[in-house]
Amino acid sequence: MTYPLPARYSDLIENPSPRCACMLVLDDSFSMSGGLLTFKNRPIDELNAGLAQFLQEIQDDEFASYSVEIGVVTTSSPDVEMLSLTPSHQIEGFDTLKPNGCTPLGRAVDTALCALEQRKTEYKKNGVAYYQPWLVLISDGAPTDHWQESARKAKALAEERKLVVLPVAVQGADINILSQFSNRPAKQLQGLKFKDFFAWLSASMAQVSRSASTASAIDLPSTTGWDSI
Amino acid sequence: MSVTVFDHTQTPQLLDAELARGGEGAVYPLAHRHDILVKLYHPNKLSLDGAELQAKIEAMIAVKQDFIDDALSWPLLSVFDDKRQWQGYAMKRANGVPMTNLAHACLYTKYFPQLDRSGLVKILLNYLDAVERLHSKGIFIGDFNLNNAMCHPADLSVTLIDCDSVQFSAKGRVFPCCVGSPDLTPVEHLGRAFKDIQRNRESDCFSLAIILFKCLMLGRHPYDIVGGADPVGNMRQGNFPYGRGARGLPPGHWYNIWSHMPFRLKNLFIQVFTEGVRTPAARPDLPDWRDALQVYLKEMRKGWHETAIKPAHPKSSEHRGNSKSQVSVAFSH
Repeated sequence: MTYPLPARYSDLIENPSPRCACMLVLDDSFSMSGGLLTFKNRPIDELNAGLAQFLQEIQDDEFASYSVEIGVVTTSSPDVEMLSLTPSHQIEGFDTLKPNGCTPLGRAVDTALCALEQRKTEYKKNGVAYYQPWLVLISDGAPTDHWQESARKAKALAEERKLVVLPVAVQGADINILSQFSNRPAKQLQGLKFKDFFAWLSASMAQVSRSASTASAIDLPSTTGWDSI
Repeated sequence: MSVTVFDHTQTPQLLDAELARGGEGAVYPLAHRHDILVKLYHPNKLSLDGAELQAKIEAMIAVKQDFIDDALSWPLLSVFDDKRQWQGYAMKRANGVPMTNLAHACLYTKYFPQLDRSGLVKILLNYLDAVERLHSKGIFIGDFNLNNAMCHPADLSVTLIDCDSVQFSAKGRVFPCCVGSPDLTPVEHLGRAFKDIQRNRESDCFSLAIILFKCLMLGRHPYDIVGGADPVGNMRQGNFPYGRGARGLPPGHWYNIWSHMPFRLKNLFIQVFTEGVRTPAARPDLPDWRDALQVYLKEMRKGWHETAIKPAHPKSSEHRGNSKSQVSVAFSH
């Protein structure tokens, strides 16, 4: 091998822990700056803080940190991953999201699905078992591109139990469109409680990483916490 | 919020803060005796199977004198709430590190910093002793789980916890093991509800072999295969990627580690993970594993085997202990 392997690849050789991939598709369009809505804090700031907390909580759980992989795609740069799926213990932090542009959610979801597929191929090449990956889709608007085909693909994967798709609607989002990306309805985020949501997400990912068998059915943990308050 | 529980004489005991929580219940130390833990089942579990659970636990408590040793955290006493409703049981606290952190390619160095292969094999021999304590009384573990064995990094002792899940028989009644996970379950028991399965020596010996393999191979599942299906799919096919002519060995340390294990031990793994998949009678039994591990330990002391947890190179073919003439097993590697 002439070139050193990227760390996220060599980890598959050194660390055989079954993987739970969590791909975040994040809306960082202009409206996330608060736009015309009046928030005490800008939604994007709360989202950034929630992301940092998510990583911290996963890394605080050392067993989960070797198993949970996190990747990020944003709508401001929908054709490339902001962060490729990387084992949590190797992630140093996320780039700060800055509100910018419109909401090409369809393209961002395509990029995410493609990256998940590629990572699954890498798992298989290294004999690393994996749980059903998660795709978390967070938006405060409606897609501004041709999203229907991407939504159909994501929903089909969810129906085949190959992917858990979790759309999260921030205030102002078109919850009906977001729901079409999954076989389960989009969750409405109350106010700007990104931290509550990410606390639930990290607890859920830790729970998945501890389920003994990758072949077990996944019982999605209760969401009565963050979305009921 | 502090919780008070009662024994059958209604003597109260204050519980300390929750120590751990699982799907069936939560565990608390007694406030005034931290060496005693109380498991309280969740209210929904009690309303669903409370009577059956209480019958099982009380049948286990009735024979507790047979299991008072450090290898098992056996139920010792029923506990009740202030309305005399049964809530769970008290047991001795097991110290140590969950075996999950031993069978882990990255975490073992943190929790077992001094460990070499002879220490690892001693832990496994102690684990076998604990399993044998149960098998000798006709009790089967069923739910083999790395989290249910606590290992002591200093003295290498092992204690089995969560004993309430075992398959236990008393007075002609069999209390099943209602939990498990597919990738540690033998194929004849896959696809059925765990509560409807009768575990036996052979089914336990298949799951046990996976635990032994994962500990010796730093968390690698025996059916992790390059380009294969998931571990359960590979298990159904008997696609074990180690041994001569086998395919799909994952890249990394795995071949090196495997190559340094003695021939006899490797043969037991090949036997259980190929022929033993479909033929329960072909699975090595506890004494087979004990003999192979004891010989391994003895030969490591003589310097015949590499003792590094992650040997840098595969074993050279001339190495002593590698000769096929030493054993009479018909398998090649």
